[in-house]
Amino acid sequence: MDATTAPHHIPPEMSQYGEENHIFEIMQNMLEQLLIHQPKDPILFMINHLQLDNDNVPKIVILGPPASGKTTIAMWLCKHLNSNLLTVENLIAKEFSSLAAAARKHYQINKRVPSMQLVRLIQDRVSEEDCVRRGWILDGIPETREQALMIQTVGITPRHVIVLSAPDTVLIERNLGKRIDPQTGEIYHTTFDWPSESEIQDRLIVPVGISELETAGKLLEYHRNIVRIFPSYPKILKVISADQPCVDVFYQALTYVQTNHRSNAPFTPRVLLCGPMGSGKSLQAALLAQKYSLVNVCCGQLLKEAVADKSKFGEVIQPFFEKDMAEYKLQEGGALGSLPCNAVPGTARMLLPDSLIMKVLSERLNQQDCIQKGWVLHGFPRDLDQALMMDSLGYKPNRVFFLNVPFDSVLERLTLRRTDPITGERYHLMYKPPPTTEIQDRLLQNPKDAEEHVKFKMDLFYRNAAELEEFYGQALTINGDQDPYTVFEYIESGIINPLPQKVP
Amino acid sequence: MEAGGSREREARNYLEKHQIMELLKYLTSVLLFIRPEKPREYLIAILEKLRIAKATGVAFPFFMDHSNITAMFDMMDSSKKGTISFVQYKEALKTLGLCPADEVLKDDGHAITLDKFKSEVKRMRPRALA
Repeated sequence: MDATTAPHHIPPEMSQYGEENHIFEIMQNMLEQLLIHQPKDPILFMINHLQLDNDNVPKIVILGPPASGKTTIAMWLCKHLNSNLLTVENLIAKEFSSLAAAARKHYQINKRVPSMQLVRLIQDRVSEEDCVRRGWILDGIPETREQALMIQTVGITPRHVIVLSAPDTVLIERNLGKRIDPQTGEIYHTTFDWPSESEIQDRLIVPVGISELETAGKLLEYHRNIVRIFPSYPKILKVISADQPCVDVFYQALTYVQTNHRSNAPFTPRVLLCGPMGSGKSLQAALLAQKYSLVNVCCGQLLKEAVADKSKFGEVIQPFFEKDMAEYKLQEGGALGSLPCNAVPGTARMLLPDSLIMKVLSERLNQQDCIQKGWVLHGFPRDLDQALMMDSLGYKPNRVFFLNVPFDSVLERLTLRRTDPITGERYHLMYKPPPTTEIQDRLLQNPKDAEEHVKFKMDLFYRNAAELEEFYGQALTINGDQDPYTVFEYIESGIINPLPQKVP
Repeated sequence: MEAGGSREREARNYLEKHQIMELLKYLTSVLLFIRPEKPREYLIAILEKLRIAKATGVAFPFFMDHSNITAMFDMMDSSKKGTISFVQYKEALKTLGLCPADEVLKDDGHAITLDKFKSEVKRMRPRALA
């Protein structure tokens, strides 16, 4: 691309395509492989790499002290992810390999395999077809820092490392109850994991080396080693407590290995905040816009601005507003105060046609600053038709959040809002009470904050919410019933972290 | 660590030698511009074409297109005569990596115009990427 014409206006379709197809990650993986292997013919290598399409196969390392249950977890993960399990035992049991035979001899004498041989065995195994296609799970390897570095040097890098941890006393006790099924190799426990079939029960044997003293010795060595392995896997390591039921450990491990790590891909957030009135959408939108320099697009505000600017849209919209204003004036006969910005007057919305709103919105979203910096949209769409219209015009948000707040909280937040007609200051009787009684006496309530109106709007929202949630399949639901900064942190982590992969 | 340093240098040299970064940039740009349904298959197709088009093993500037060539010509032709000298022309070809050492470029006494420059570059580039 010619860099002399400036500035480039990159069409939004490009960034959308890039995000959906994970182009950055594909290129990054390819570059990594090129650098690790440094093939003489890079183009042929790249063709083969792309054809393999194995960027997302499991590459997991599971470490943990003896009796933490790592073999069990590793086996379960293997079965679930349809991957290959690699342990010291099954590596040296390999047939037709002189390397494995030598390792076996060594193991019989010293009860351990020298690191060089082990790493060579791993290297051979990992380059076999089934590991390349379905990934691998290393159980209990690397045992030491030297092994970790050696594995890294040959280019084997795991994407997830799980370290199980539990207090030593728990582990020593647990190890005493360990039993092995000699036929399948599965590990059972006298208290926690007793097999149901009696024939398995009968053939279980007590493994060697589980006395308290021996376990304590192994634990000592483990602790010495594991501390030095941690720094080798800084960002991909997760510690899971093994002092809980097996199923819980497994569930946590499974969730972790199925998440992608934050990538360096360029990302322009296009955030959609959905929620009933009073859920805090405007506040969160303002916080997001401030922190990440996004454009805060509030639908109601946009329409009001159009009217105020007397633009051509404004002139078309104004009659809808005026009619509504007149209705309000007749009803209340008093000051309106400042209208909350994310509510187009309720009755006007039913009159204001969707296509008109869509036109005003499109005009805003097509502007250069929205395309370049990203946007936060709230107040639209409110039902499936609007969502479909927005989607068909090409405005697809890449993060959607639903803010859930129970009805009572909403009532509390909204019905206690008051405005001071003289200074224009807004107060809340519970969260931001007025400083003097003189002010308090003259406060007025916005008719839109009246209980019946709030209830009406909530019902309206929830009637359409189910369809919207279905339409935006990848939406994240957040508990909005907390203080704003906590909610903001949840939203932030939802934007920054890659979208969770649905479990197949 | 010294070992780390030398491996990093090795890696950088490798990237430069095979012009990997330019290749990746080119591939990414093509993908984003064309936006094929199946990005992997499309990438494989482009790479196959590149492989076939690679006559010698030497790196070549497939990432240049017409506007770049024009820009380059304009940069060299600072007085806007419309032509560049033979020496400039030879240097440009060397920069682009298109000037094999054994080819003898005859200096026919006339200055090189933009059209001649463009056609020469095109001729030397693999046809698949015109």
